[in-house]
Amino acid sequence: MEEKLRELEERQAKVRAGGGPKRVAAQHDKGKMTARERIEMLLDPGTFVELDAFVEHRATELGMDKIDAPGEGVVTGYGLVNGRTVCVFAQDFTVIGGSLGEMHASKICKIMDLAVKIGCPCIGINDSGGARIQEGVDALSGYGEIFYRNTLASGVVPQISVIMGPCAGGAVYSPALTDFVFMTEGTSNMFITGPQVIKAVTGEEVSSEDLGGARVHSEVSGVAHFSFPDEQSTIEAIRKLLSYLPQNNVEDPPVAETGDDPNRIDEGLADLMPDSPNKPYDVRDIIARLVDAADFFEVQPNYAKNIVTGFARLAGRVIGIIANQPKYLAGVLDINASDKATRFIRFCDSFNIPLLTLTDTAGYLPGVGQEHGGVIRHGAKLLYAYSEASVPKLTVILRKAYGGAYIAMCSRHLGADQVFAWPTAEIAVMGPEGAANIIFKKEIEEAPDPAAARKDKIEEYKRSFANPYKAAARGYVDDVIDPAHTRMRLCNALNTLLGKRQSMPSRKHGNIPV
Amino acid sequence: MKHYRITVNGKTYEVTVEDLNRPGHGSGAAAVSQAPAAVSSASLPAAPSVQPAAAPSNGETVITVKSPMPGTVLAFKVIVGQQVKRGDVLLLLEAMKMENEIVAPQDGTVVALRVPASASVNTGDPLVDLA
Repeated sequence: MEEKLRELEERQAKVRAGGGPKRVAAQHDKGKMTARERIEMLLDPGTFVELDAFVEHRATELGMDKIDAPGEGVVTGYGLVNGRTVCVFAQDFTVIGGSLGEMHASKICKIMDLAVKIGCPCIGINDSGGARIQEGVDALSGYGEIFYRNTLASGVVPQISVIMGPCAGGAVYSPALTDFVFMTEGTSNMFITGPQVIKAVTGEEVSSEDLGGARVHSEVSGVAHFSFPDEQSTIEAIRKLLSYLPQNNVEDPPVAETGDDPNRIDEGLADLMPDSPNKPYDVRDIIARLVDAADFFEVQPNYAKNIVTGFARLAGRVIGIIANQPKYLAGVLDINASDKATRFIRFCDSFNIPLLTLTDTAGYLPGVGQEHGGVIRHGAKLLYAYSEASVPKLTVILRKAYGGAYIAMCSRHLGADQVFAWPTAEIAVMGPEGAANIIFKKEIEEAPDPAAARKDKIEEYKRSFANPYKAAARGYVDDVIDPAHTRMRLCNALNTLLGKRQSMPSRKHGNIPV
Repeated sequence: MKHYRITVNGKTYEVTVEDLNRPGHGSGAAAVSQAPAAVSSASLPAAPSVQPAAAPSNGETVITVKSPMPGTVLAFKVIVGQQVKRGDVLLLLEAMKMENEIVAPQDGTVVALRVPASASVNTGDPLVDLA
């Protein structure tokens, strides 16, 4: 027995050592932790339970029969984050470059299946050179099996991808299919074709970092939702994100005691709104004062900054916030903003997170680039996502709500359950200047002083239309409220709507204009 | 490569500007670059808080801040030669019924204002060059 126990210990130690001290040191020299260190940091101390430690590859061709790969280059298992179960896999770059072969993939698939079976989030930490070429089509099969499971698990359990090293070629599509992608600055990159291939094919010279680094994907492409300067802060943010999410699609998100009074009146809130309707402000300042303890966890903070998305709590309950950002690009809706908001709304709806929309936008961005880029179909996604969402939907119209953008930003017409407006709201088909020029074209032209006449007519239009009362008169706005009372009214509305049940027509699935 | 002598608050700086977007030495490029210099010294002759700007060394990259959307330049908040930090407001662009603050994408020195104040600009039009 003693001998058998010793053998077990030896085998366990070998797997735990990964690619050996030399490769582990190389990993550390790059500022990267090993797969096991990352898992230890992510999970509550001592809760990790490893599965499939003894799995081995069965490839024999191209010298693979002589290659030993402890743990098959990926560590998988489950454990707790803030006391709640999660499934996790972490590719081990120290073991043949974390390359993905048949058995490596089957370990990942097994842990994904477990996550769906028990209904808990699945977190994948990517650090891999790509497909294990020696295994040929078996490696491709492995990727395909993972993509298939990502898709079936979508909207069932939250899926989080973490990029902490290379993630190239087919490997990028598993993260892309998941709900959130985290990247660590300086050490991670993602691309379909790398710099060498691009140089050979198109002649363009670009570094890995400039092609698919954390900054590029979190600011330009929108592939990543979060980027952080190091692995520790990345992992802390994952734990924070999980604190807002339910375990699965039949659970409600966790309620937390935040100690912030739901009936807190904020007389200073109105002062954040500039007197002139043409002056920008940072909508995140307003969000911070509405939500519990000023705690707002922004999603994609550096991409399509003209719309703000993120999680917060009202009276302890999680909400997803979508807000136009007047401080950036005048808060217009454009292709990227529509994409960003749509994906966020659909995530929240999948996982029973009520939506709070803060509206202040003059509309869609004009321009040939936008039209040719398909702003019609991208903008349509926003309408689709809001209309389809059956979670409680609250809307506050802060200031401008013009034309199509008024409709798109979760108006009553798209199924908002409660729509509030501040007295500063301007709800109209278009802005006063443009509208006056069209409606009163003849009067202005024929007036002895056209400039003065135009000014009069703009004022007349403002008085009649650029306010919330026309919309309130139709019941499209439920109430016009003092900004100081916004938090109180939202907490009350959210509480009232907790029992909301809405069934959609029976169908396989809708056909969102992607 | 172009050489400019720029006077700010009586101090003279020699600046070398390399326009990466316009290869060759067309007269159009020269006119565009010189006009804003005149604009800035005429409209803001005595800005009090200008820090002495180090002349960028030869070969330093020039970053062109472009208009993010169609609109009208309301006012420049910087003058040529001024040092700016990432996030500092360069100009106000009236667009989409909003006075948008166009900010510096990175630390640098303003080497040219590419359009006059009150100019109408389109998406992608150059506004300010930083080095």
